Amino acid sequence: MANVLIDGLKERISNAIKINQSIGILLPGSNYSDLLQALFEYMSSQPEDVWVYVTITKPYETLAKEFEFIEESKHITFIDCISRAAGITKTYPNCIYIESPTMLEKLGLEVMNVFKEVNNERRKYLVIDSLSNLMIYNDPDIVTEFFYHITNRTRARNIHTISLAIEEEGMDKYLNRLIYLNDKILKVRDSFI
Amino acid sequence: MQESEFQKKEICKTGIEELDVMLGGGIPIGSTVLVVGSSGSGKTTLCMQFLINGAKQGERGVFFTITEPLFKLTKNMEGFEFYDKKLIESGMVNLIDLRIISERLGLDTEKYTVEDASALLDILRDIADELNVKRLIIDSITALCYRLQTPEMIRDFIFKLGSSLAAMKCTTLLTSEVPPRKFQYSQYGIEEFISDGIFFLGDIERKGDLIRTFQIVKMRGAAHSRTKSAMSISSKNGIELAPLLRSRE
Repeated sequence: MANVLIDGLKERISNAIKINQSIGILLPGSNYSDLLQALFEYMSSQPEDVWVYVTITKPYETLAKEFEFIEESKHITFIDCISRAAGITKTYPNCIYIESPTMLEKLGLEVMNVFKEVNNERRKYLVIDSLSNLMIYNDPDIVTEFFYHITNRTRARNIHTISLAIEEEGMDKYLNRLIYLNDKILKVRDSFI
Repeated sequence: MQESEFQKKEICKTGIEELDVMLGGGIPIGSTVLVVGSSGSGKTTLCMQFLINGAKQGERGVFFTITEPLFKLTKNMEGFEFYDKKLIESGMVNLIDLRIISERLGLDTEKYTVEDASALLDILRDIADELNVKRLIIDSITALCYRLQTPEMIRDFIFKLGSSLAAMKCTTLLTSEVPPRKFQYSQYGIEEFISDGIFFLGDIERKGDLIRTFQIVKMRGAAHSRTKSAMSISSKNGIELAPLLRSRE
């Protein structure tokens, strides 16, 4: 059952990102682990592409323990916005650390710096995990402004983006405004998979 | 001044991409720019990056330090990827401790007389001339001004220094130390009026974290941006600037 679910998610992500510059994935918290697995398996299966994965949800160390293969995936660079703020000081070679998730301008700079060094012929993808968690650490208005900036910059450089948003009570107004900036929205529901 | 007149001016590229864009290409050659900020705001790093970037383009530079010994300065800079020791060894970047020069000149290290100030000015000009430097840093002008006893001496010193270096087509950065979170450009209130430009390095608080900021307050002869940017300092890229997010905090 789990495999069917994850394969279904992978297929939906793959189909959506092939024809859209940016996709937003709106999901309930209960589906987060499955989506993460689907996303990482999909990313790992595309070694010819370049991926930047911004995590505001789980520290990189936790992700690397959960999905051992990501440490070996040289085409994925992680940007961890929460470890330092949580007092986790260990470093990994494929991960860039941001002092605090409030340092959004710094995050934007680091994302673009990774892509600057990439050969233009390779396809480039940015994953933001997640907009809803950025809103835990920042005011929704500033997250909206950040997301406008980053999507404008990535569009200009032909970088595809996948942004996750975990549905939370009271945040719908802000999340909807943000997530609809994307070309395509995937709403993950148990009943769909 | 018309845009075309700005464009005709010779410019000194800082080599910090976003800053050069904000300046409309770079600093007009021969300008004296005050780099203002509190302790830890990145003044020395910005100046050193400016100097090193120039040296990499074949422009010789000199860094006069008064606030910290040379070994500390170089040790701090070694952590940055832009720093290249070979440029120091080859003489493209010259690091000079102004306190040692003062001692050798027999100047009172605490307070300068008019004659002392004049002797020091001559030495600075001679060094700049002999080395044929195109970029010069004094870190900090505040520490130097402290030794000059009157506002007139400060005005005279900076004016004469700036004029002589401008004649040599040497672009100068003077660091100015100010208290944190104060909207002031210098300790003595004189330095900013004699300078051609002011770069203000500050910070804003966001949810308890300090975000570094950068703003060009003035730059004579340049159609410059006046917007406030976020500033990042990293060992990999040194100083970087990005648009500051402005939403209500």
